[in-house]
Amino acid sequence: MGHATIEWVYVGVVVSLLTWVGAESWNVERLVEHVPPEAETIRVIAQQWFWTFEHQDGKKETGQLHVKQGVPYKFELISKDVVHDFNVPDYTILMDAVPGRVNVVWNLFDKPGEYPIQCREYCGFGHATMRAKLFVEPFSQTAEAAEKPAEAQNATSAQAQAQAPVQTAGPPGTPLTILEGSSVQGSPSYDPATLTVKKGDKITVTNKDTLPHTVTSGTGPTDPNSAKQFDTSIIEPGATADIETTNINPGQYPFHCTVHPYMTGKLVVQ
Amino acid sequence: MVLEVKQPRPLWEILFSTHHTDIGLLYLITSITALMLGGALALALRAELFLPGLQLFQDPTSFNRFFTVHGTTMLFLWAIPFFAGVGNYLVPIMVRYKDMAWPKLNAVAFWMIPVGAALVWVGFADTGWTAYPPYSIIRAPGPAAEMWIFGLKILGISSILGSINFIVTILSCRHPDLSIMKISLFAWSILAVSLMTLVAVPTFAASLIMLYTDRLGISGFFNPAMGGDPIAYQHLFWFTFHPEVYIFLLPAVGMLYEIIPKFSRKPLFSYQSGVAAFVLIAIIGFASWAHHMFAVGMSFTEKTVFMVGTLAAVPASAMHVFNWLATMWGGRIKFAVPLLFGVGGIMLFFASGAGGVVNTALPLDFITHDSYWVVGHFHLILMGTVSLTFTGFIYYLFPLITGRMYNERAGQIHFVLAFVGVIFVFITQHVLGLYGMPRRIVDYDATMPGWLIMNQIATVGAWIAGLSYIIMLVNLIKSAGSGKEADMKDPFQIGEEYYDYKRREPHH
Repeated sequence: MGHATIEWVYVGVVVSLLTWVGAESWNVERLVEHVPPEAETIRVIAQQWFWTFEHQDGKKETGQLHVKQGVPYKFELISKDVVHDFNVPDYTILMDAVPGRVNVVWNLFDKPGEYPIQCREYCGFGHATMRAKLFVEPFSQTAEAAEKPAEAQNATSAQAQAQAPVQTAGPPGTPLTILEGSSVQGSPSYDPATLTVKKGDKITVTNKDTLPHTVTSGTGPTDPNSAKQFDTSIIEPGATADIETTNINPGQYPFHCTVHPYMTGKLVVQ
Repeated sequence: MVLEVKQPRPLWEILFSTHHTDIGLLYLITSITALMLGGALALALRAELFLPGLQLFQDPTSFNRFFTVHGTTMLFLWAIPFFAGVGNYLVPIMVRYKDMAWPKLNAVAFWMIPVGAALVWVGFADTGWTAYPPYSIIRAPGPAAEMWIFGLKILGISSILGSINFIVTILSCRHPDLSIMKISLFAWSILAVSLMTLVAVPTFAASLIMLYTDRLGISGFFNPAMGGDPIAYQHLFWFTFHPEVYIFLLPAVGMLYEIIPKFSRKPLFSYQSGVAAFVLIAIIGFASWAHHMFAVGMSFTEKTVFMVGTLAAVPASAMHVFNWLATMWGGRIKFAVPLLFGVGGIMLFFASGAGGVVNTALPLDFITHDSYWVVGHFHLILMGTVSLTFTGFIYYLFPLITGRMYNERAGQIHFVLAFVGVIFVFITQHVLGLYGMPRRIVDYDATMPGWLIMNQIATVGAWIAGLSYIIMLVNLIKSAGSGKEADMKDPFQIGEEYYDYKRREPHH
């Protein structure tokens, strides 16, 4: 053991480096985890395979999250089915959404812009496409939005608005039913699977399942033409949505559910 | 030694043998087959990720099945059977006993592996190799998930039986002249991992049964709808599988202790420090499991405890690296193929260890967690360190098993391609993780800065590494039949004694 001194010196150096890493991490994490008391609460609901956000004022959003620059937010994460992970890579927000638990993470957004939200915990079929968009509204626009809340929302979700169908009451059109159990891969989903209508007819989609679904044109979420012809966006369980066919040329259009891409059907416009 | 290939014996004689060299050979052949199959799955996964969108796979579920079976195969059918095979060959020689303590138990332990492997491969589950509930309980399609559970159950029992055999052989069947502080460090590493297996694996074995009854719906241990907690599974799982990381690693460390002094033509720097590091890690390895779970919503105190436990495991690994480098220092080194792989393994061990410190530093973990950084990190350990060292040891044992020499030039080409390939794939994946790419996704958004090009670099690297292992396979098969005969006293011409093979004729 005559040559042991040099090894002890080496072990000493390694241990002191690690001690420094540990102490510094402890200190930083302690500061990072402290949620400011004035933070606004946003409830994040994860389920296969989309995100829903509930703001403190009761406003609900699906697939999009609008926050204000410079305001601290506390996210309460819950999951309705399996383990997901709420992640905004640009802001290092990362926390699992575990069914049966409420996990908390907080952040203050300092740069306005559009950022991706993604799921980082493997959750099955649609894990790769379980994404959402985060919109950080600049401070000035936030002030305007307080005066004209409706318009501000229109501006930021213009794309969704353009494609959203008119969800009015009125006489129901040709029925298209989303069957119960549609979310299970392999089960029958749309009834009828091939729907034939005349151009100009209205289609009324009824969601009889216990999970949210959509009727979206295109063969699947990876189809570059997805949602070009029609898109109901999310239809909550028990709710209905209408599709107007006045602007759709005669032809055959495959459609699918953006949440459960294995749910497919076909629309024939005559 | 056996010289199975040199003096062909009927196949059934090897299959039904209980001699430690025959079972060792079966273990090695099984594990190398698994390496090739698991590698083929990995190449398919990488090919899919070369471009965004779906090309190779018709739907995401088949991709999910591929990465599940890839992980399960590489860990339980390549890494564990490989070191069990090498242990079978060398441990009885090193403790100077005629065979393993219980030869029939040894054969039983081996023959459970093909059964478990068949269940995993025929089922082709999509749970991920971690099989986190509730997904694995309420959503994963059966019967694949059930077959995975039972396959893993059988593989777990197999490794427990093998471990008992190794422990008894090393502790009780050792030659009376040989004290425990005289056996080689490779035998020490097998002793350490066998003891760790006995402590770690039963936890996972229990949670597999709980997972199964949860799937049947008669219990709700991990199902929140029935009052259970999915996080409990993660604790049980990682209590087994963080120590399991050291179980994969320590045999590679032991192999490096065989290779490095021999090819450096110098005695080992410090035997005691090697033993001390093995014992240390075998204990501290159990204090760090929840660092896999920093993001599940643990309290600050829990996270701190497991960060400290993880950091505490680092010095022991650092002692091994020091020991190897100090042994090589000033030696007359012969860079034969086994040492090339050994040195490559040490370099990547250092890199992956440094990356591991980044992971465990709490605030940084929230950048890297569940991203491609983590994929790059654990592959750098398992592929870069463990598998490259194991590969070096395949070349090192080749003369012992076949009595012939492999082609040196082809072996060198294999090393260069494998090393370059590994760096291309896994260092790139570290960076990709910092750019935010989640793991286990079949499709990615090509508009994210850097994602497309880094995925393509990783895929090309994977093809290079895959090609290198095809070169190895051809080299080994060809040389086993027609390579030049090895000088069994000193096949590598390094002036160091090789293993005593003459006393090892199978006893039939």
